[in-house]
Amino acid sequence: MAIIEVKNLKKSYGHLDVLKQITFDVNKNDVVAVIGPSGSGKSTMLRSLVQLETIDGGSICVSGDYLVKDGVYSKPADIKNITAKMGMVFQHFNLFPHLTVKENLELAPKLVKKQAPSAIQQQSKDILEKIGLSSHANAYPSNLSGGQKQRVAIARALMMNPDILLFDEPTSALDPELTGEVLQVMKDLAKEHMTMIVVTHEMGFAKEVANRVIFMDNGEIVESGHPAELFENPQHERTKAFLNRSLK
Amino acid sequence: MSFDYIVSILGPMLEGAQMTILLFLIAIAVSIPLGFLLTLAVRSRFKTLSRLAQTYIYVMRGTPLLLQLLFICFGLPMIPVIGEYLVLDRFVAACLGFILNYAAYFAEIFRGGLLAIDKGQYEAAQVLGLNKFQTMTRVILPQMFRIALPAVANESVTLVKDTALLYAVAVPELLHFAETAVNRDFTIAPFLVAGIIYLIMTLILTMFFKWIEKRFNFA
Repeated sequence: MAIIEVKNLKKSYGHLDVLKQITFDVNKNDVVAVIGPSGSGKSTMLRSLVQLETIDGGSICVSGDYLVKDGVYSKPADIKNITAKMGMVFQHFNLFPHLTVKENLELAPKLVKKQAPSAIQQQSKDILEKIGLSSHANAYPSNLSGGQKQRVAIARALMMNPDILLFDEPTSALDPELTGEVLQVMKDLAKEHMTMIVVTHEMGFAKEVANRVIFMDNGEIVESGHPAELFENPQHERTKAFLNRSLK
Repeated sequence: MSFDYIVSILGPMLEGAQMTILLFLIAIAVSIPLGFLLTLAVRSRFKTLSRLAQTYIYVMRGTPLLLQLLFICFGLPMIPVIGEYLVLDRFVAACLGFILNYAAYFAEIFRGGLLAIDKGQYEAAQVLGLNKFQTMTRVILPQMFRIALPAVANESVTLVKDTALLYAVAVPELLHFAETAVNRDFTIAPFLVAGIIYLIMTLILTMFFKWIEKRFNFA
């Protein structure tokens, strides 16, 4: 069943249409890779799901609740509840530099979920262990490598127990030799059946981990399908051209 | 320039330095929070408030502090009708002048600190479900203060030295006592002593800010 339903999503900046009638569903436990050239609207689409961008038309429905229906947004309180089901990992990590790794993880649960401190601490301890950064719990982000920072950012998102994780080019700001450790954490999450939407340039990851690939170009979904089909037998010229450029 | 002479003038000069320190502490304690409120006013959604704050900052930074002090001490009482109610104690007037002037500078320093914070910080906080107030107090302000710290330190050192402007409105402070001694005893020793006292005060202040910077270093 669909956990996210997006219908006819539209957004424009002045005369520039960045999203033109985007429609897609994401099922529970799906790992969806969104690929496409820069400026194709991938990030804008992803960001609109968590209300970092306001859309001009269309609907977004998460677990049966409308964030926005036919261009009309729900009440702020409802929006908050709906977006709380999703966690987001950014290209530039966006860790809080004045807080330690542990504090980064525990800040939002403490302020937003108001759980017992002991429960929060146990959870952050478990998650840090899982991503292999227990020994860095008291380090500040500035003392971590890019790969470690991104793993902490994923851990921070997981602390809110999201149903869906959104990744906005999670490895694009990393040195090539550091992407592996981040992709590994994402693969582990996929194995645990976390629902994920990943905007990425990592074709290898898309092929290997995703069970669906969406190709966007110029504000539209040109083609989508199982990675094996889409990569081996793309139907559209634009997809072929993009894959040729990306995979050579 | 005998040792005994220096000891003899040291008493009144340290008394003057007390006035300097008192003014400094009052000015800094009030102008920093006021400056921060001004920053918020400048960034306010309410255009009128924002423009008022910007105009205030422009006027305070665009005119000499000395002129502002003279205006408050001697200008206000000359205003027809209400002037007689605006005769302030000189020291109070001076404090007021320093606070109003320095708040404008601190406002600009804090505004710069806010501008230096990446918008990704707001986005991360929003996605994690923090409300605006939590985002401001737990994420943005701690970073802003850390970024603004060197500039705040710099401005504070300037404030110590600017207290010498009290001389112009005849509040007896450090420089005033030095000047009196120079004229009376016909020696430049008091100026040198005053210089050294200023240096000691700014040194302590600089060390204090270095310590704070280190404490709030997130590295």
